[in-house]
Amino acid sequence: MDPTGSTPAGVVVQGVRRSFGSTHAVRDMTFSASPGRVTGLIGPNGSGKTTLLLMLATLLAPDAGTIRIGGLDPLRDPGGVRALTGWMPDVLGSWASLTTRATLELTGRLHHLPKARAAARAEELIALVGLGDLADQPTRVLSRGQKQRMSLARALVHDPGVLLLDEPASGLDPEARVDLRVLVRRLAAEGRTVLVSSHVLAELEEMADDAVYVQRGATVDPERLEALRDAPRLWRVRAEDPAALDAALAGRDDVSTDHLGRLVPVPDEAGAADLLAALVRDGVRVVAFAPASGEMERTFLELSREAGA
Amino acid sequence: MKTSALAVGTVVDLELRQRVRSTAWYVLLGVSAVLLLGVTLLLLATAGLFGRNGGPQAAAAVVFFVLLLGTLVTPALSGAAINGDRDAGTLATTQVTLIHGWQLVLGKFLAAWTASLAFLAVAIPFLLIAEAFGGADAGVLLTSLAVTVIELGVIAAVGVGLSAVIARPIFSVVTTYLVVAALSIGTLVAFGLGGLAFPVTVTATDESYASGAVDDTGKVVHPVCDPPIVEHYDTPSYDKLWGLLAANPYVVLADAVPGRFDASGNPKDAFAAIKVAERTVQIPIARSTYSSDCHPGRDTRDTRAPQSVLDSTAPTWTIGLLIHLVLALVALGAAVRAVRTPARRLARGTRIA
Repeated sequence: MDPTGSTPAGVVVQGVRRSFGSTHAVRDMTFSASPGRVTGLIGPNGSGKTTLLLMLATLLAPDAGTIRIGGLDPLRDPGGVRALTGWMPDVLGSWASLTTRATLELTGRLHHLPKARAAARAEELIALVGLGDLADQPTRVLSRGQKQRMSLARALVHDPGVLLLDEPASGLDPEARVDLRVLVRRLAAEGRTVLVSSHVLAELEEMADDAVYVQRGATVDPERLEALRDAPRLWRVRAEDPAALDAALAGRDDVSTDHLGRLVPVPDEAGAADLLAALVRDGVRVVAFAPASGEMERTFLELSREAGA
Repeated sequence: MKTSALAVGTVVDLELRQRVRSTAWYVLLGVSAVLLLGVTLLLLATAGLFGRNGGPQAAAAVVFFVLLLGTLVTPALSGAAINGDRDAGTLATTQVTLIHGWQLVLGKFLAAWTASLAFLAVAIPFLLIAEAFGGADAGVLLTSLAVTVIELGVIAAVGVGLSAVIARPIFSVVTTYLVVAALSIGTLVAFGLGGLAFPVTVTATDESYASGAVDDTGKVVHPVCDPPIVEHYDTPSYDKLWGLLAANPYVVLADAVPGRFDASGNPKDAFAAIKVAERTVQIPIARSTYSSDCHPGRDTRDTRAPQSVLDSTAPTWTIGLLIHLVLALVALGAAVRAVRTPARRLARGTRIA
């Protein structure tokens, strides 16, 4: 596999397990992530996402199962995998007294880039993540969001074909989130495999093509996800005159209310269209009509509900 | 080969820029210089108290003080090299680059060593002053410098090793200090107590002149002895414990420096005095002694000159340096093991990132 990532490299994980003493952090994970796509790794805190990414990043050895990154096994060829993989950890560590520029240059040199090339690459990345003004300040003065960007730039130093991003948007302001989304989409469009873990679903909803759900150390079976797709979903409705809306919905006993409007369960999108048509027919002046939650959020909450039940 | 050297060099560069070259470090260098100046001036001022050998004695004291200072600074510079990075979240991001574990450990060791050598560099002017005052001897200066350089390297290696196997930086720094204390003081205590704990029984036969054998002026007039008096008593024995002394950095330093003796065979400085003392204990205590006024030929009292003791015993410094080098290699080896990835086992309480 070409380490520069010019050949697409995917991630394939099969039956991976890892425990720390009696804690089974990862019990059984199986999924794949394809080049050119952003794959979201979705699960609650403590569900094993970070442990999985540590194994993909060649830092931890799995107890069982196989991992292939661009066809390489991180256990047998960690060097090959490292040349191919950029990892952005959830812990925002930085060499506090070094500047962002020095950090990126030294990381480049640790990736065996010649000195001049490492300096040029640092310059490119500083522009890419928009840290130009702060590039020559020690990293200890960076804010959390700026450190996130520095961390992303550090993961990109060797132009990896596979990106592992662990909670990349936590602590980012809305503008920075938009920037991150645009950047991640662009990196994927260039043919990279991007795996993004998060529990902030709104952010994944906007950037991920595929989703892998993780629950208590295991990936959720696609069949189970399929079944969830058929479950009724909540639609949020708001009308100019709430009283008129309540009157039109009076026949239903499954309507609930939140601070934004009425929540009506519908079986699917056709059902939602029918509901809207009926409301309009009844003369209700509807001002907002939309799914109450994103697809991922719905699935995530549904899974948590099932697990809790 | 070249790639490895470059990789190690990058780690050294990184380490010196990130950890070492901080304001606190420069302040510490300045404080050391002031301390050295004070100690050197005081010692030279008091040199007269040592009599004719005041110069060499003061010079030796300055050399010992430099070793003391170095061994006190080095644990702080090396003892958090690896777990400090883990705490700061920068170890894992280094481990996912193409750097090998051994390159990382070696780089950190070389950086910590270099940093401690800066303290030695600050001390060099004072060593030169002291040596000039003590009858400049290039041999003494160079050997004491070389031994100090090596000893600081050993402590740097121990610090880096402990920082890899102990999770919390504060504990690994303290443990490194304890290792320094064990080598510098612990060996002496163990040596002293060990000798007392395992005494040997000596049979002493004493044959002295009978009354009337010697007249009032001390002249032997009638060379006849009383019947010999035989005594059995326990005395501490140190020859088996000599290895403990060899592990002491100060003993290694003293032993490595060429011994200087005056015309009557007395040690000129503390180096030579320590050297003779620790070499003498290599010689097993005679289990039976015989002292006789009447038969000088049977007398076993030791009257050997210091130089002949040195000539007949093993050079302690070689054994000591060997012990220290093994210690350093074990520590670095443990560090390489501890940073190996992909990791199968994690030490209790550690997180990989």
